[in-house]
Amino acid sequence: MTTDSLVKSLHPLEVRVLLDTAPDQHIDLATLRQRLKFSSGHANQALSWLEAKELIAEVERRTAVSYERTELGADFAVNGTPAERMVRVLQADGPLSMSDLRAATGLAQSDLGSQYGRLSKIGVVSMDADKRLQLASDMQLPPGDLILRGLLERSADAPLAETELSQEERDAVAANAKKRGAANAMFRIVERDIVTYGLTAAATQLADELRTRGVTGDEVGQLTPELIKSGRWREVTFRPYAIGTAPARVLPGRRNPYSEYVDSVKDKLVALGFEEFDGPLVETEFWNSDALFMPQFHSARDIHDVYYLESPQHVTHIEEPYLSNVAATHENGWQTGSRGWNYAFDRNFTKRLILRSQGTVMSAKQLHNAKVPGKYFGILRCFRHDQVDATHLSDFYQTDGIVLGEHVNLRTLLGLLKMFAEELAGATEVKYVPGYFPFTEPSVEVHIKHPQLGWFELGGSGIFRPEVTKPMGIDVPVLAWGLGIDRMALMHLGLSDLRELFSNDIERVRLRRNSG
Amino acid sequence: MPKIEVQRAALMRSIGADLSDPQLEELLTAAKAELDEPADAAGMMKIELNDTNRPDLWSTTGLARQLRVYRNQEVPGYPFFSRADAMHDSGDRTIVVDPSVREVRPYIFGFVMNGPGVAPELLDDLIQTQEKLAWNYGRKRRAISIGIYRADLMQFPAHYAAVDPDATRFVPLQDDRELSLRQIVHEHPKGREFGDIVASFDRFPLLTDDSGSVLSFPPVINSAHLGAVQAGDRRLFVDITGTDIPPLLLTAAIIACDVADWGYTIEPVKTVYPYDTPLGREVVAPYYFQDAIEAELATVQQMLGETIEPQAVIAALARMGVSAAVQDRKVRVTVPEYRNDFLHPVDVVEDVMIGRGMDSFEPEMPQDFTVGRLTELEERSRRLKSTMVGLGYQEMIFNYLGSGNDFVDRMYPPELHDRMRAQTVQIANPMSENYQFVRSSIWPSLLQSESVSANAPYPHAVFALGKVVVPQESSASGTETRTNLAFLAAHASAGLNEILSHVAALMFYLGKEHVLEDVHDDRCLPGRAAAVRLDDSSTCGIVGELHPRVLDAWGITVPCVAAELHLEALFGLGASR
Repeated sequence: MTTDSLVKSLHPLEVRVLLDTAPDQHIDLATLRQRLKFSSGHANQALSWLEAKELIAEVERRTAVSYERTELGADFAVNGTPAERMVRVLQADGPLSMSDLRAATGLAQSDLGSQYGRLSKIGVVSMDADKRLQLASDMQLPPGDLILRGLLERSADAPLAETELSQEERDAVAANAKKRGAANAMFRIVERDIVTYGLTAAATQLADELRTRGVTGDEVGQLTPELIKSGRWREVTFRPYAIGTAPARVLPGRRNPYSEYVDSVKDKLVALGFEEFDGPLVETEFWNSDALFMPQFHSARDIHDVYYLESPQHVTHIEEPYLSNVAATHENGWQTGSRGWNYAFDRNFTKRLILRSQGTVMSAKQLHNAKVPGKYFGILRCFRHDQVDATHLSDFYQTDGIVLGEHVNLRTLLGLLKMFAEELAGATEVKYVPGYFPFTEPSVEVHIKHPQLGWFELGGSGIFRPEVTKPMGIDVPVLAWGLGIDRMALMHLGLSDLRELFSNDIERVRLRRNSG
Repeated sequence: MPKIEVQRAALMRSIGADLSDPQLEELLTAAKAELDEPADAAGMMKIELNDTNRPDLWSTTGLARQLRVYRNQEVPGYPFFSRADAMHDSGDRTIVVDPSVREVRPYIFGFVMNGPGVAPELLDDLIQTQEKLAWNYGRKRRAISIGIYRADLMQFPAHYAAVDPDATRFVPLQDDRELSLRQIVHEHPKGREFGDIVASFDRFPLLTDDSGSVLSFPPVINSAHLGAVQAGDRRLFVDITGTDIPPLLLTAAIIACDVADWGYTIEPVKTVYPYDTPLGREVVAPYYFQDAIEAELATVQQMLGETIEPQAVIAALARMGVSAAVQDRKVRVTVPEYRNDFLHPVDVVEDVMIGRGMDSFEPEMPQDFTVGRLTELEERSRRLKSTMVGLGYQEMIFNYLGSGNDFVDRMYPPELHDRMRAQTVQIANPMSENYQFVRSSIWPSLLQSESVSANAPYPHAVFALGKVVVPQESSASGTETRTNLAFLAAHASAGLNEILSHVAALMFYLGKEHVLEDVHDDRCLPGRAAAVRLDDSSTCGIVGELHPRVLDAWGITVPCVAAELHLEALFGLGASR
């Protein structure tokens, strides 16, 4: 630490100790309390801070005994010791029987008995013929009791240090003090280590520096409204801050980085001219698969691939003419130019309610409302019948969309994919390979070389089959695409486990940063 | 998507080239295939086939054929196929079908393969092909099952009939006891796996030879005698049974072409039906059933965005093993014997694309101008989120599926569990009970978060904006998907006043007049829950102090206050159903 930052790091309490203490002088808690009028707390703080900075060093350590007034002692200080009460009552009411005296003083039988024994021995009280207690006419409490009275009063604010007591005082207090179980004694015996410190060489130097700079320890820490209004700010000096000290942590309100990432993808797609779509989580087999020309016997439509609803199990109706168009397309191709799948389309199965399993559903549903030309997208929560692990979730986001236009074709599809690769993924190289999806023909996968992730599959795409578009009343080509942005999201957030994207751990989410 | 195991050396021999892994990977794209795992110490690699409509690629031999043709552009020929107008002579090789199978499993075809003793690696590939075809293409043997037998030990004609499952007995493969068909269904591993395909019928299918020896119990298991094929066998009889003719004939074609590629002779087998089939009562297999398909040259050019000349189209298709001719600006395609994936002229277009090579197409930016925009709900949601951040809340994002215990039981008193579970959308076929319900409120997600976050410095203030699904009788699906905003504050002195202030702040910045109305909600302390009502008196949310019973159920030891707003109701947007 430089001298400058050391100076700035000093608290006013430390400054005052350093300025007040001569190089050869020793200090301890008591001297700080007396000389600098520090409270015990301040004195303790000053010493521990200075010691941590190695500005003072321990010179001597000894055990000091002191006597701390107990609650009982405090009570006696106010209401009188048992002896004092006995004397006070007998003075006021004259001779009393033992039981009357007990009632009048409120003392226990045993206390009364032991006080009577002690005081009668020295002739302060005696028993008369009627077995009543009476005071001697020239009665005087023994000197010890008078000393005790003084000690009870002196110990109100701070314990009595043994070193500051006379021999008589020590005897008086010792007779009424206990180390443990002191609740029924007037004083508790407390043993403390008294540490004496001396300034180190660095402290002496620092004190000189403080004097040179004119630092007094009376500098103002906090600028207050009062200082501003009164104009007193012109007269005072302000304590400089130790800027390097770590500030306290705050718990700010904050967006979730994953959700921010999803927003950024949406923003980029909007910038590329895409309009967002959204839809319900509960879908039908019809929209989830049939409208996408996936035959009802397709292996991907097994019970182990989609989640079925327990209740209700079927939608009440599916909008016409789409149902009939799609059914005929599956059976014999309808008017699509296709030969169809050649099986009996099950109109009950198609109504089965499921949880949306692919984002392409919303692309299919968008078709009959779509403008031509038109570009649409959605980032949609989808559900899969998968064992949850680092690379599989039961529900997750898919990014899907379509482009409708009289003149779109394979080359514009490749252009679109190139645009996604560069704009959304920051790809340096793009590669196209033939793909397979039941609802597109031709189908193309786009692989990209990402600056950090290397080559990976960014997404799948193709031109919707006429068996998908014509039943929805669309006669222009439709480019369909889906992007797997999960890997980029993980990289963006510096994560490797998909489950982390949906973490419910508040502290983990609070500390998560956007690295991208 | 099937994955097959391929012996690298065998594949390279069949392709006729020695390729590095990167070269192979590039070539594999012509078959929509990927190298899943490179060759291990034994030279076996794993290849994933993406096209579920090309089962001909699911064997080393079939994959090699596509890759070889792609490199050499030589379309192979298979002269042993019969056609409607030209049946091959099947000699004495006949399968006689009994009327009894018509309701159970009506179709069967077969052929005999004859050649040198089968090498072990070829037999492995044949068995792999058989399994992949029956499992992926044949829907786990429901639509297609395949049997292979030692032809020299059997006597034609074979007989296919449905028989009494209790009276018929034979020794199946993988067992040494003679069992009845019903015992096989209950006791044999293959019976337990595939028996339910036929278990509901009174009579089960059985294939025997002319002497009455059992060949197999389709689609379950072969006999241990005639059906125990081993390396070195020279003459094998293959049968395919199932429910629909084209997939069976395609399966027969794929296997026949594969073994023909090994150099085997294919001996046709005739099936004689006692009932009418789309192909008549007598069919000789392998049989070419595919129709030619025509695509307009203009369609090919428009879809690909390139003026490709007729000769170039023909050459591109040849690389895919497809012979074609162009006449009157129409591309006429003769579908290869082992393929049946030309449903529509666009399927021709894709083969032209792959055959010509992806690199031959220059990407072009879409020209059409369109206006991009977010949904109205998304726009408004974003503004809400920024207000929540300003109020000091951390945004969370949660999964939508969870357990009945979390979504219902921890939220409500025991006497309400059944009723509230019934009012929560439940999955009929859950993977595990941890993901059995769709949330109807975001509160359980927030409480779960709180329950695992006691170590996070307090105070906690979290929010989430996302979907929930609630039952809705007036909807065709019986449900309604809603977008909700929910937030929760948790700390030692959390109280209702704090969250009411936050609700008031949100509503102020939305410009929405609202009133709070005392409401009973079993998740909240009595007297400390309020419905948020808009000035048309519709309800758009709930705010309250969580009941200690709920906190206790979640293991939470600090007070929690929470609110949840239904955004479509708040913004007057249409419901999503």
